[in-house]
Amino acid sequence: MATIEVSGLTKRYGDLVAVDDLSFEVSEGEVFGYLGPNGAGKTTTIRTLMGLQAPTSGSVSILGYDMAVEEERLEALQQTGYLPAHPSFDEQSTGREVLDLHESLKGGRRREELLDLFEPPLDRKIREYSTGNVQKLGIVQAFMHAPSVVVMDEPTSGLDPLLQERFNEFVHDERERGTTILFSSHVLSEVRRVCDRVAVLRDGKLVTVEDIHDLLDRSGKLVRVRVHGTVPDDAFDVPGVSDRARRETDGATNVSFTFTGDVDDLVDALDQHSLQELDVEEAPLEDVFLQFYGADAASAAGHGGANDA
Amino acid sequence: MLELAAFGARKRVKGALALSVGLSAFSAMYAAFFPSVTEGIDLDTYIDSMPQVFVEAFGLRALGTIEGFLATELYQFAWVILLGLYIAYSAASLVASDVENDRMDVTLALPVSRARVVGEKFLELVPGILLINAIVAAVTWAATRAIGYPIGTVDLVAVHLLSLPYLFACAGIGLAFSVLVDRASIAQRAAMATVFGLFLLESIVTGTDWEWVGAIAPMRYFDPTAILVDGQYDLGAAVVLLVATAGLVAVSQWYFGRKDIN
Repeated sequence: MATIEVSGLTKRYGDLVAVDDLSFEVSEGEVFGYLGPNGAGKTTTIRTLMGLQAPTSGSVSILGYDMAVEEERLEALQQTGYLPAHPSFDEQSTGREVLDLHESLKGGRRREELLDLFEPPLDRKIREYSTGNVQKLGIVQAFMHAPSVVVMDEPTSGLDPLLQERFNEFVHDERERGTTILFSSHVLSEVRRVCDRVAVLRDGKLVTVEDIHDLLDRSGKLVRVRVHGTVPDDAFDVPGVSDRARRETDGATNVSFTFTGDVDDLVDALDQHSLQELDVEEAPLEDVFLQFYGADAASAAGHGGANDA
Repeated sequence: MLELAAFGARKRVKGALALSVGLSAFSAMYAAFFPSVTEGIDLDTYIDSMPQVFVEAFGLRALGTIEGFLATELYQFAWVILLGLYIAYSAASLVASDVENDRMDVTLALPVSRARVVGEKFLELVPGILLINAIVAAVTWAATRAIGYPIGTVDLVAVHLLSLPYLFACAGIGLAFSVLVDRASIAQRAAMATVFGLFLLESIVTGTDWEWVGAIAPMRYFDPTAILVDGQYDLGAAVVLLVATAGLVAVSQWYFGRKDIN
């Protein structure tokens, strides 16, 4: 039995099809990234999975419990944590009061341990919290009852880079503990660090579900080099290079390309030139779409709606 | 049980105390006016000069007695209209404001049924309602004694006790709008308009061939003048209000249980 199972899930709002016939499974102990541009249907999937909305058709289950049936959902929720896209708490309460309420209803075995890690200002009213502090409180409440499954919608939004790093380490440790985690993101570099597998969603449809390493190998790196002097037209024409662009400026040449080949080949190619600058970074999600799913997908990725339906 | 209700009720204590102070001042002010009003004006002639609708709407009777005076000025006005509207208004934001501000997402991820969430949301209003009644009853009791026109203790307790089902029914109306509408401000306006509309309806149809229409108005089942002036306690009417309240809460729970939280 899969820990999380989405089967033939369709959700319509009137004429708008938010997600269309989605099926995927998350196994026990797996960290699963749910990737797609804004507006692709990630939040709709997650809200339906958590039972906040009923599926138009298809089914969603956690730990074998049908999340569209309340009695079953309540069983699953005993062992499930949830961090929504915009966690929000009673503004007049302090963080401590909110956690006390949660502890009284679902338990708080890991509360102190999590507070050591994320430290929201517990005795201040939530009204005075920054976005980052609300997010920290959200993370604590999602994990405090030692759930075996945690579902998170864009968990690192609102966290500063330092905290994102801490969060990624935390998710890594959770994976060691065997917690099953599904989280959504629109940033590939974020999920690649911590996920075992990813599902890629576009326009409400599942584009692919695959191992993160396979996806990264195929999506490659974006390489930018600045070379002294001019370089021949065929410079850097090695296997795995695509979308090569070349521009000469003030006695130097800027070359950029996407690289999906062997890293040693790349180093050899670079070694033949005198470099002023070198940038190697993760290909942006839009480029992944462009390379593997065609220009339509890329434009959907690049110009997704502001609201994640 | 009742963790959510207790959590919500704690946030409402300050507001209830503030409202109690305001209404107590209102009660004390009327008590202070009473001796000069009753000696200076022939209130029965005043009532006779009023349109019948007005007399019905405010239960104008025996204004020359402290019971009739307070029944009209304090209970018909401050309790039936003001407090009724305020409670409907407060109840209308119970669920809608949590949904509107995304707080409901976190609440519904707790292992708690939606019916229980709605039920406890309703219950979070109850301690405040009890507190306001207890404080204002005590102040009214003391104020009428201070001016030398003591109001009957049993009748005073009865008018407050029997106002509870009425106020719960107003809260039930607010709660129903709160689950129906996702924007708190709209739910609040709709709930207040409904309660006030029902008050007007009941006032207008009383004494006409259309009197039966007023049966849907909660105001028909709570008459402070009958309690304070005549000592008549209509327990059957209180039961009607309690059943209506239970019905409104149950329908709200049913509807919220099937609704998509967007």
